[in-house]
Amino acid sequence: MPHDQCPSTVKGEKKKPGAGERAARVCGAGSGAPPWRSPAELADSAGLREFVEREFPAGASELLESDRRGFMKVMGASLALAGMATVPGCRRPEHKIMPYAREAPEEVVPGKPLFYGAAMPLPGGGAEGLLVETHEGRPTKVEGNPLHPLNRGRSSVWAQASVLSLYDPDRLKTPVYLNPSRGPLEATWDDFKKWAFEDGNLRKFDATGGAGLAIVIDKATSPSRDAAKAALMRKWPRARWVPFDGAESAGRLEAGRAIFGGPVRELYSFDRAKVVVSIDRDFLNSSSADEPNGLRHAREFAAGRDVRAATDSMNRLYVVEPSYSITGGQADHHLRLAPSRCIAFAALLARRVLAGSPAPAGIAEALNALDLKEGAVDSRWLDAVAEDLLDPGHRGRSVVCVGPHMAAAAQALVWAINSALGNVGQTVRYVPMGEDEGADSIAGLTALIKAMNDGLVDTLVCVNTNPLYAAPAALGLGEAMKKVAASVTLSVESTETAAASTWSLPGAHVLESWGDAEACDGTVSIVQPMIAPLYGAPGELGPLSPGEFLAFLGGDAAPSGYELVRASWQPRFGADFEKRWKRSLHDGVVAGVEAPAAPTPNAERAASLVRALDLSALSGGLEVVVRGGFMHDGRFANVSWLQELPQHGTRVVWDNPALVSPATAKALGLTQESETAKFPEARVARLSVGGRAIEIPVWATPGVADDTVVLQRGYGRRHAGVVGDGVGVDVGPILDGTGAALLGGGQLASTGRSYPISSTQHHWTMESRTSIVREVDLAAWKKHGGFEKDHFDPIYGRKGGTLNLAERLGELAHTPPNVSSYVNPLNQSRDDASAGSAFSKGPQWGMSIDLARCTGCGACTIACQAENNIPAVGKRETQKGREMAWIRVDRYFTGDDINEPAQMLHQPVACLHCENAPCEVVCPVNATVHGPEGLNYMTYNRCIGTRYCANNCPYKVRRFNFFDYGVTRFNGGYFGKGLVESIVPDRGGVTGSGRHNKLNPNLIPPRLRQKLEEISKLQKNPDVTVRSRGVMEKCTFCIQRINQARVETKLRTPGLTGVPDGFFESACQQACPSEAIAFGDILDGASRVHGARVNGRSYGLLAYLNTRPRTTYMLRVNNPNPRLRAPVEDPFHHSGEPHDDHKTGAGQGEKHGAAPDAAGGSLVGRRRLVRGITELSLKVLGA
Amino acid sequence: MSSIHPDQATAERLAGLGQVRPHPIPAGSGDGTLIDDPAVRPPLVLNNRSFRDVTDIVCGYVENKPGKWWMPTFMMTATIAGIGGLFILYLVITGIGTWGLNNQVGWAWDITNFVFWIGIGHAGTLISAILCLFKQKWRTAVNRSAEAMTIFAVICAATFPGIHIGRQWMAWFLLPLPNSNWIWPNFQSPLLWDVFAISTYGTVSAMFWYMGMIPDLATLRDRADRRLRAGGEGPVLLPFLPIRIDRIRGYVYGFLAMGWRFSNRHWHRYEAAYLLLAGMSTPLVLSVHSIVSTDFATSILPGWHTTIFPPYFVAGAIFGGFAMVLLLLIPARELYPNMKDLVTKRHIENMAKILLVTGSMVGFAYAMEFFIAWYGANAYEQFAFINRATGPYWWAYWTMISCNVLSPQLFWMKRMRTSAGVVFFVSVLITIGMWFERFVIITTSLNRSFLPGEWHMFFATPVDVMIFVGSFGIFVTLFLLFLRFLPAFPIAEIKAILPQASPHHGHAKGGH
Repeated sequence: MPHDQCPSTVKGEKKKPGAGERAARVCGAGSGAPPWRSPAELADSAGLREFVEREFPAGASELLESDRRGFMKVMGASLALAGMATVPGCRRPEHKIMPYAREAPEEVVPGKPLFYGAAMPLPGGGAEGLLVETHEGRPTKVEGNPLHPLNRGRSSVWAQASVLSLYDPDRLKTPVYLNPSRGPLEATWDDFKKWAFEDGNLRKFDATGGAGLAIVIDKATSPSRDAAKAALMRKWPRARWVPFDGAESAGRLEAGRAIFGGPVRELYSFDRAKVVVSIDRDFLNSSSADEPNGLRHAREFAAGRDVRAATDSMNRLYVVEPSYSITGGQADHHLRLAPSRCIAFAALLARRVLAGSPAPAGIAEALNALDLKEGAVDSRWLDAVAEDLLDPGHRGRSVVCVGPHMAAAAQALVWAINSALGNVGQTVRYVPMGEDEGADSIAGLTALIKAMNDGLVDTLVCVNTNPLYAAPAALGLGEAMKKVAASVTLSVESTETAAASTWSLPGAHVLESWGDAEACDGTVSIVQPMIAPLYGAPGELGPLSPGEFLAFLGGDAAPSGYELVRASWQPRFGADFEKRWKRSLHDGVVAGVEAPAAPTPNAERAASLVRALDLSALSGGLEVVVRGGFMHDGRFANVSWLQELPQHGTRVVWDNPALVSPATAKALGLTQESETAKFPEARVARLSVGGRAIEIPVWATPGVADDTVVLQRGYGRRHAGVVGDGVGVDVGPILDGTGAALLGGGQLASTGRSYPISSTQHHWTMESRTSIVREVDLAAWKKHGGFEKDHFDPIYGRKGGTLNLAERLGELAHTPPNVSSYVNPLNQSRDDASAGSAFSKGPQWGMSIDLARCTGCGACTIACQAENNIPAVGKRETQKGREMAWIRVDRYFTGDDINEPAQMLHQPVACLHCENAPCEVVCPVNATVHGPEGLNYMTYNRCIGTRYCANNCPYKVRRFNFFDYGVTRFNGGYFGKGLVESIVPDRGGVTGSGRHNKLNPNLIPPRLRQKLEEISKLQKNPDVTVRSRGVMEKCTFCIQRINQARVETKLRTPGLTGVPDGFFESACQQACPSEAIAFGDILDGASRVHGARVNGRSYGLLAYLNTRPRTTYMLRVNNPNPRLRAPVEDPFHHSGEPHDDHKTGAGQGEKHGAAPDAAGGSLVGRRRLVRGITELSLKVLGA
Repeated sequence: MSSIHPDQATAERLAGLGQVRPHPIPAGSGDGTLIDDPAVRPPLVLNNRSFRDVTDIVCGYVENKPGKWWMPTFMMTATIAGIGGLFILYLVITGIGTWGLNNQVGWAWDITNFVFWIGIGHAGTLISAILCLFKQKWRTAVNRSAEAMTIFAVICAATFPGIHIGRQWMAWFLLPLPNSNWIWPNFQSPLLWDVFAISTYGTVSAMFWYMGMIPDLATLRDRADRRLRAGGEGPVLLPFLPIRIDRIRGYVYGFLAMGWRFSNRHWHRYEAAYLLLAGMSTPLVLSVHSIVSTDFATSILPGWHTTIFPPYFVAGAIFGGFAMVLLLLIPARELYPNMKDLVTKRHIENMAKILLVTGSMVGFAYAMEFFIAWYGANAYEQFAFINRATGPYWWAYWTMISCNVLSPQLFWMKRMRTSAGVVFFVSVLITIGMWFERFVIITTSLNRSFLPGEWHMFFATPVDVMIFVGSFGIFVTLFLLFLRFLPAFPIAEIKAILPQASPHHGHAKGGH
């Protein structure tokens, strides 16, 4: 009897599966393939399971007592196991890829991430350059590639979220054959090969030259895919090739074909523009398929607004649109107009502009021939904008842009305006689109469906696209698909099309495949895989990239993406191939690719477009706008980070309610419940357009044009996975056969039902607390902005200090000097970073957020979520106010009219790392303490979760783990789910997130719940703890990055005390497209953050509380047109009465300090306060 | 050896002293205790009870079978307590998220209940300690039950901070235990002060209560012992377990009485210790709720950050505590025979007067909060208070005002404050109002603080409600057990205030 000395082993021998394990098995915890460690584990033998669970292998202690034969057996087994152990769990690609050389060593050092250049094709064409952080072979975080001219190190929310979709447990894992009688059956690639080639189901097209085959494929700009396509089409020239994107904007394509002879994209140079007019174009939004250049727009537009000195000037932005976009939030003048009036605006503006400048031939005449009602748009507005554009100083220095979804005539008009203003070639360039990119999806699909119905299509192949969901239901693709003999779908994600296809094949994610991608400005990146396909077995045909799949269709039984990409680049790189190949892989961009030449316009055909303009098409009834949001055409629906990212304007998560203006909602009786009622419920209405109808919840939102309904695509998925299924409403059925994004004649009628909507922010206004998001007009900045901040605030009662402009707008101007008899001996923060204080030794970390640059796009939120292992919590939890995002973006509307707010302001708020942190003193267990570098530490292990810190935080940035969010499966199952759900009443299937949970699964004790999938764990950043339930968490200023940087600099430059500015960035800063966030050492006089903190625009949020926040804000500067609104030169008018003492520049803080303001002495005048209170019920919608 | 215990003989001798003339009951003086004439000292015990009567009455509550009401009531409250316990179990294994809290409102019903119960715990110590020091003789009728109530309220109160934290199994981090990491609790944090304040208060209150009971426990022990010695049949524990209950009483009360022998030396030390404990408890009455109030006052949240909190909270605590004493004693007075002799209308009237005083103090504090918010000219603070009265929780605020400030004003009228029914009803209102006071302070300040972007409402869940209801179950169950098994009145102290105990008793005016 061998003695086993290890108690765990003894226990293990008798071990029965615990409750949690049983539960996991009951509800099918097989969350896809976990990263297996050996073939035996893959086979999941019971013996191996035991082996894995044991601390020591069975028989480890038997060795000493065993005989020779036993010894040999054990040794043999050990050697065999050791051999197997060398098969790594995360297989690295077999081909050489080049690490980005920010890290000098090329080999993997455990614990040190490596960065690789890559690229991500954007939906609808274009691409973003990526820099992927990998830890021991697994990608964990995606950044923008600093060498890519589009990104310059920044990234969109889609790029940030791509890493989560890689590890999505609902991805397609194996080929599935849809047996007509037995339903879906799991199969292998060999089965598919047999079906396709041996059984001749695809081989038969060799005889027909491809006739009867149709390929529907996503719009991607990839040279190697184009090469594969060319090869395939050479073989099967009669095959139908239908590029399809479910959310494409037809107007621009049509206008491009007419004016330039082919579809074009506009490339803007906003940094050179003095005046920008956007007609329903959300050019700052980088998570929009219409704006593959959005990152550059955001960066360059912000550069044009960067006022630092009192003499600086800035651009001016006019936005005309039906509902607030993120571009609208940046506007100096915002006009809400229904879509038809937006087109009228373009026409009326064109009349004014073309009258005053050399117009392209024929346009002006065409315009004059149009029957335009001058009264459709405020003529004061039009005159002012036209005058501004026609200012001789602005010639060639303005941009007029129009949403690509708007009618082709509007596109033509805007082209004419830009030409007339001399902008074309200066601030606006036109570049041709690629062939697939510029294809008309709807026309192609309509023709295909007709062919399918006519029996001309035998086999339908869908590659990386989901037309069954994304195409307008009116086209009838579902019925047509039943008429084809076979359908084959290659897709990364689970899709409706895949579920309905004869064969659904797993595709390779962009991070696990070879390829290349061309950005819209012509920059090309070669995409290298970061990890071998997660669901592929070595040596077998695995998940395929689109290029590989096309080669496979063409007969290549074992296509290699690597070879395909190399082969397509061989001729372009020429003799220097290997060197340039390595260089391109390393840099993430291919050097020396020329931008395509600008096409020649044809003014006459533009004029004919204008002549054809029919403004009456949209009239009558409600106008309906269909937009693409974070989900685009639904392809990102299973990405929980994107579902939980608050949407622009509404801050709604996990839903796509129809947006209407408060006035329209009131008129139709569709105003949602107030948030002061139990969890706001939207009214469900029936929206019908031309005989098609959907039922959708309605959400009254300030800034939406009256009699307009704004819908969002990409929701209401049926086969997306546990995250995306049933979230929101599919708006596809409302679209007509043309797929137009603008529809007229809509009707909205209440169904009498209501539906809970989850919004992270219910309050629309700042409640007259104008010191929160501070803003001034440029005139005031020029007059008062010269003072740099001498002293942070007068709280310490120091003499001789001068408050800068931004601080004078806030409470500090009214705060009497504090006479403190107590010097805090612990942090000595009386003198901020002055000599001898605790904070006088560098580095001292600080952050500055520029509210003039911030667009509220949400990239920071997602970047932080990816970097810091922040879980998504689901609709029900966000509804309760428990979202976990460490950096949130507050949104406020200003103005007196809730229907027509003057502005939409944004303010990102994360932990401000106060030097006098209110959270620290109240924690009873010392779990949150201050570090010597000015960081507010949060010690998860010590935290017991009293939540006192969160209560005492004036910024409410602390996030509490109310449940086991981080370690239980999102939306997962639990033991006895069937029973529970049979008891729980069905409340429209919305209590969880989507249709999978009738009950909020968090209410189930964690031991009965499914744990996080193995595959999802791979995404976690190993440098950041995954927090357990019951602890508080918050922004750490990315302390893991700080420490890494400190170690690096210390190793590289012994003796260097600080970290050079820009050596590393926090995750939010790194992602921010408009570079609104500066982070670094505030003691380093050369650092960006230091420059920001001493600037006259810098202020501390609620600094009068003496929290001394390390994150400061820079006030927003507006540049109003005096013809539309008189600029305010002296913004210091509280209580409706000017204070003379404010007008004298220096020293007013002290004056106020000595004699508190008799007229109120508060940040808001009393009269305004009282008005604010009485208006509270108005401002809080529905109350 | 005599079969009669010497103490018993002494007691009987004392009880026979002097012949008591029945008190005439003047008209309009209720049960005879509501005499307005300041020259007349109204009786504190009615019906000319002898010393022996007092002993019999108090010990009878323990020794005789309780009324028919006791068992059903006990079963009901014990069930409620059990259900509450199950919900606490569910809370601990599932997470604090089963409550309605969120990132903005980090505390709601949990801390509301905590402050509510700790406030209730104040009346007991006030009655026992402060009234003892001020030699208020009427306290003897209510002090024992009020002290018991204090202990039970502290038990309920201590539950909530224990279970409200996110990781309940780590609650011991709050204790200053030596550890290898040299991590100590944060002595700056009012929550830590709470830990010390409440544990001190609980300990001292329990000691005070227990020490006061020792002579009475000894009496119970001796009575059991006497019956055993006298032989005869007595009730047995269980039919198949023929142990006489008196034997168990003898052991249990004997153990609890700690060898008390009614000796002079015992009494001497008892009196000294009692006075010492009263002296120690008196500052505790003021300090505990002051410290609880610093949980809020030391924060920077408008609506919490208020220097008026310590006295305001103490007044409120006494207010709520006295209401709870009345809530318990008025029904007990109806249900127990002869209890009306010990708890007279004058007692009720006295306590109603305290309610009137403390209620007005609380009302003054409410007004001062608004005044200071206006006078301080801080817009955030002004908003916090206007939001209280007119915001989404206006109903909670106005419930609080009408229950706490308006309803005690009835007691300006003598008819109202001497009517047990009215006083009971007002006490119910005050208990509701005091719960809402804490709810208003905590929730309305948190749900709309500085940045409107983060405003969020709080909605209670069934788990919130059931744990609160369960805490009432625990409280009433414990109190019923107390009435059933422990001496509910201090026998010796009541005897000391009987007329017979006075040296002047039985003599003409002017004394000896």
